[in-house]
Amino acid sequence: MLVLVIAGAVPFLLSFFPPLEIYRNAKALFYSISLILLLFGSWDVFAVWRSHWYFDTYSVWDFKIFNLPVEEVLFFVVIPFCCIFTWEAVLYIKSRII
Amino acid sequence: MKEYAILGVISVCAAIFLDWGLQTNVLRRGEFYVFLIIILGFKLLVNGYLTGKNIVMYNPHFLLGQRIGSIPIEDFLFGFSMVTLTIVFWQTFKERPARRRPLP
Repeated sequence: MLVLVIAGAVPFLLSFFPPLEIYRNAKALFYSISLILLLFGSWDVFAVWRSHWYFDTYSVWDFKIFNLPVEEVLFFVVIPFCCIFTWEAVLYIKSRII
Repeated sequence: MKEYAILGVISVCAAIFLDWGLQTNVLRRGEFYVFLIIILGFKLLVNGYLTGKNIVMYNPHFLLGQRIGSIPIEDFLFGFSMVTLTIVFWQTFKERPARRRPLP
């Protein structure tokens, strides 16, 4: 859980940096993250069901959604968010230096 | 069967296909590779920690067995298709023009 919070915190705070205008596209953000959550979340449910991989029970919370620890589900929200933030930051920096 | 490896390859193909099909063409943009390298750096850090500390463990039966550090190579396929599709979806929804409202 801690790893997830650390990974998400910095991009989340920086995402309010006005010129990036990420929240102007709040709907696009919501749709993109939902689709990733649905697609890769299903993959994860399948993988855990087939036991492609499994989680150390002492490192994650007990609370589960289907067969996934809540951290794993939040992973599919935090990571796309970080990706979109990074992508917009790269585009912004490029537009500033050219 | 190396199911995770097979699913990984399918997902990468799907990501490339969708980028082409939805005409986002992010894979043809230079910025995308700058982005990919930044994400790869963080991925190595986080994924390396989670696999190194055995918080996530893998069944070797479904893996090719090649690892980079503690990370199975299949994770890179999963990661690539996930971040690529995130940007493909984001570009698709972002660039869609706002629906026109009827004039009063």
